[in-house]
Amino acid sequence: MTYFGSTGGLPRPAAVKGAPAGPDAVAPADPGKPGSRRQSDRLGAILLSDYFVLYLSLFYVAVLIPFLPTLATPANMSNVLSNMWPLLVVAVGQTFVLTIAGIDLSQGSVAGLTSILIAMLLATAAPAQVLGHTPIWGLMLTEAGGPLAGVAYGTWLGIGIVLAVAALIGLANGLAVAVLKMPAFMVTLVALIALSAFAIWLTQSNNIRELPADFVALGKGTIVSLFFGDQHSAQLPRREVHAFVTWPMIVAVSVAVVAHVLLGHTVFGRRVFAIGLNRRAAEISGVPVVRIVVLVFVISAVCAAIGGLLYTARLETGRPTLGGGNFLLDVIGATVIGGTSLFGGKAKILWTVWGVLFFVLLGNTLNLMNLSAFHIDMVKGGVIIAAAFLDVARQRLRRGMG
Amino acid sequence: MRYSIRTAAAVAALSLGGAFAAPAQAATICFAFQDLETEFWVAGHLAITSTLTEAGHTVLERNANEDANRQFEQVNDCIAQGVDGVILIPQDGESATTIVANAQENDVPVAVFNRPPSDLSRGIVVVADNAVIAEQAVDHIVEKALAEAEEGATLNAVIVVGDLGDPNAVGRRAGFNSAIEKHADRFNVIEVASNWDAATALSNLEAAVTANPQIDLLFTSSDFLFPTIRSVLEPRGMWVPRGEEGHVWMAGLDGDATACSLIKEGYVDATGVQDLYFEAESALNAILKAVEEGNTDPNEVIEDPGFALTSDNLAEREMDMWGCVLLAEGFLDQ
Repeated sequence: MTYFGSTGGLPRPAAVKGAPAGPDAVAPADPGKPGSRRQSDRLGAILLSDYFVLYLSLFYVAVLIPFLPTLATPANMSNVLSNMWPLLVVAVGQTFVLTIAGIDLSQGSVAGLTSILIAMLLATAAPAQVLGHTPIWGLMLTEAGGPLAGVAYGTWLGIGIVLAVAALIGLANGLAVAVLKMPAFMVTLVALIALSAFAIWLTQSNNIRELPADFVALGKGTIVSLFFGDQHSAQLPRREVHAFVTWPMIVAVSVAVVAHVLLGHTVFGRRVFAIGLNRRAAEISGVPVVRIVVLVFVISAVCAAIGGLLYTARLETGRPTLGGGNFLLDVIGATVIGGTSLFGGKAKILWTVWGVLFFVLLGNTLNLMNLSAFHIDMVKGGVIIAAAFLDVARQRLRRGMG
Repeated sequence: MRYSIRTAAAVAALSLGGAFAAPAQAATICFAFQDLETEFWVAGHLAITSTLTEAGHTVLERNANEDANRQFEQVNDCIAQGVDGVILIPQDGESATTIVANAQENDVPVAVFNRPPSDLSRGIVVVADNAVIAEQAVDHIVEKALAEAEEGATLNAVIVVGDLGDPNAVGRRAGFNSAIEKHADRFNVIEVASNWDAATALSNLEAAVTANPQIDLLFTSSDFLFPTIRSVLEPRGMWVPRGEEGHVWMAGLDGDATACSLIKEGYVDATGVQDLYFEAESALNAILKAVEEGNTDPNEVIEDPGFALTSDNLAEREMDMWGCVLLAEGFLDQ
């Protein structure tokens, strides 16, 4: 099947798997030049492929490797993977919200609140000198630690509690958006400000350390480490042993797989897309819009909380400011770069995976180029703009194909 | 290999200039800092990078922009790039502990500059005794304020507290409290949180001064907040030099060029001085020694004794303070 139409000057693709047929299909763009047509077809196919951002990442790496040989070293690849996992979990949640044409700006503050709550519950000790003047001192935290310190299955109980709190936050956001018809941007912006302030107030901006080892393993624990090279002594050099399969990887991949099934292969997922494409039409068609929107915000908040837990375990510290700064830029940027549309109705978890990979690679390579943090953020901002432009171009290309 | 930062070249350019011998072994050092928002960090950054570069070493600079997770990732990237050592100015004591442990687990020596990890047992830690320095500075203004006050009168003392997740802020607060406790019956203490953020300090100090219009003594946990303090006190007629009616006795800590200038002008009365050049030199020497010896997990605490520059000892000790050196070089005119 070949699809053609108005592409606004973009290459005209053909035989794109999964692209919808349209009534305005017309003749090939340049029948006199089959070679050129094949090229533009191929370009169109790549542009619309599910794997477009993966190809882009591979191309980016291939171009940079001659200049940045460190990029392909096992140590660096291990770093890239390690940086991917927590961000992926949060971006998966954002994908659901963007699919219904919403946005969740509260994810960073949910991660920060989660971080401080889990540390408050699980800490095995706490310094009175630092935390003694905080509102939680004596109530939730003492010098002996939090209420779940040393309790059997305390870590899992603590994780369950903070995920439940996150779900409640998502529920509140979702109800405000779905029932009160408030704009998602405004609701989640208020949640961002209020929850961040609450998290900082709880510990008066202090961090909580002394987390139990089983919780820290969630963010840093290694299952498979690899050593590349010849072994010259009985003791392997620690610097050359690299973690590849880790607990955060297991958590992130599990979340992504569940989300992939949920969004792509269930009635719930189809309803999410229907709302994103046309909320009114979805309502008329009998889609329970309120319930779906609320659930989407719950998913987003829970994903933010899981990401917050991974970051907390990785840094071995509960931090109320976790998720501040440019965190949302990374989350939304990675999701949009993957191909999820800001206008709703178009998303895949796989796209988000590639988007996060590209975004992390981008940060990593800019670090390896010895650029300053300010330059890195400027480049990241530029890449997000480019991704948004590419998104528009791909939309037009799809529309052009009917 | 030993280097000395406190040289004429350091005075001129905050670096060693031609005072260094060529290194026995050129090293690649990752210099990861949390941000450069104050004069202290700017001057420290310049001293360290210039010194290393001019001595033939390669410096990989990483600015975390106040993001602990980003700094963690940046140091990991440095390690992947095969650096020989890391000099770290962490976001806070907790993230420092994690980053130091992580680097040592990868057999990379780390020196932590000025902001110590919450766990001092790992890494080279160069740190000022914040409590002692703060106490010396506050002692000075306490004595002056009491000498001027009416017999038995209770005075209002304000402390602008830093981010208490930073051990430096904790130490400075402890030093202030120690000085005040010597005359506990004479002072009513008002704490103002800043979280090391000028905007936060501004709003909280405005609220405190509105609630307590009579301020007799003020200690800021960092000199970089003096311009903020001035913007609150000046419109209320409380920014008055020594010797004039309504002068608020003020002290800070860091020893930057602004504080030096304000002490000379009479608006500020004392500041606790961290010896920036001693700290930078100690961090450099310790990390380069570890690299040269192949010591991947050097653990050492190097204390900067510091001192308090006051209106009374200004003439004798002015040029011992890094901020006054910078001031003399025209730093504030740039």
